[in-house]
Amino acid sequence: MKKIIITLTILFTFGLLSFGQVTDPLINSCAMSAGSDAKYLKDFRIQLGKTSNQNDLRFKTNMSLWKNTKYRFTMCNAQDSKGQLILSIKDDNNKLVVSSFDKKTGKIYPFIDFECQKSGIYQISYDFTDGQQGSGVGVVSMIK
Amino acid sequence: MKVRVFLLMIIVFLGFSCRNSKSKTSEFVFPKSDSIPVSEVEKLSPEAIADISKNIASPVEIANLLQTLQVPFSENYLAQSIDANRQSTSFNKALTLGILGADLGYLNMYEKTGSSLEILSSIRKIAEDLKVGQFFDFESIKRLSKNKSNLDSLLFISIDSYNKIDTYLRANDRGQLSALMIIGVWIEGQYLATQVVNVYPNKMLSDRIGEQKIVLNDLIMLISPYCNRDPEFSSLCKDMQDIKDKYRDIRITYTQGDPVSVEKNGGLTIKQTETSVVTMTKEQLDGLIQLTKNIRDRLISNN
Repeated sequence: MKKIIITLTILFTFGLLSFGQVTDPLINSCAMSAGSDAKYLKDFRIQLGKTSNQNDLRFKTNMSLWKNTKYRFTMCNAQDSKGQLILSIKDDNNKLVVSSFDKKTGKIYPFIDFECQKSGIYQISYDFTDGQQGSGVGVVSMIK
Repeated sequence: MKVRVFLLMIIVFLGFSCRNSKSKTSEFVFPKSDSIPVSEVEKLSPEAIADISKNIASPVEIANLLQTLQVPFSENYLAQSIDANRQSTSFNKALTLGILGADLGYLNMYEKTGSSLEILSSIRKIAEDLKVGQFFDFESIKRLSKNKSNLDSLLFISIDSYNKIDTYLRANDRGQLSALMIIGVWIEGQYLATQVVNVYPNKMLSDRIGEQKIVLNDLIMLISPYCNRDPEFSSLCKDMQDIKDKYRDIRITYTQGDPVSVEKNGGLTIKQTETSVVTMTKEQLDGLIQLTKNIRDRLISNN
């Protein structure tokens, strides 16, 4: 029994170490937290300072999204973040498609499932609530 | 004077009409100019180039679509003739790294992880030759490949490794290699999709091929600064222009609609009602299938 426990401990430790050595642990855990039905596609590492002027989300990137594909956008915060990571997606006409932050209710969704029906290049924007300082990861996956 | 005012009003009105119709346009069109001036491309910021590299569809997305359509796996689509030891130039190495990356994505998605070990050793050799082997966690990938239950981790590490290589190359003034790798991934993904649609005709798949028109200009922009670098680059730039010519009359139109959202399992689910519609004739698709095959086969036979 002791041997089994020692072997398992070594295997588990080795597994974690070898998995963790290649990438940021937050990206790693965020990708895994997207769910067993999610297949990882991309990640974005977001680190922002505090701002008093929050007219628009500050971290912006573009990504092609394809028709008949379901995407999951997962947001994860580092422990020392003051604000919570939020996301908005705009299409190529700058039309807001979705936001993970409901301004009316103040609700923040930790993930968004987006059933894309219009192929194109979308603007993906991230920030932290109330323009707070923060560090986090946004992971994009495909789901069935 | 009255005539002048009248003419001015007509000009202003026409100007407005044109702008208005442009903003309401519901069709994707290539930019007017056939080629982007090198001076313009060189002005692209590193962030813009990074964005372009993210715009290209992942081969995993194409393989996922094939699985959804229940297309059986076939080894015949893989670039099996590539010999990692016969890569003579950095051009060949970087392009091949992209091609093999797409094949690895296809194998992983179909859980043919045992078969991926051979491709992995080729990727390792080429990555080390290009001095980017440190970003590819071969041991973890190999370990995960041996157990099918690790598919999520395997996909994550494989894609993450490629992303790291891409970022490193761009940050170290080796952007031409990054561009080649990305184009290699795209061409192989396009080859896979066009070969499959040739055997298993399917509207969803042919639409995905037609929709590549959306990212084609970005790909061309990525490689444009290097087109006059040497004959290998010039030839690849010509290939990309030939592909663009084939896409010119393929139409992508859009229908309007507002997204529908619903809360589900603590998250937000959005269903888009706005749609993109591809109009492509059989001849246009056949033209793309043939051209893609010619280019891809020539590229891998050079290696």
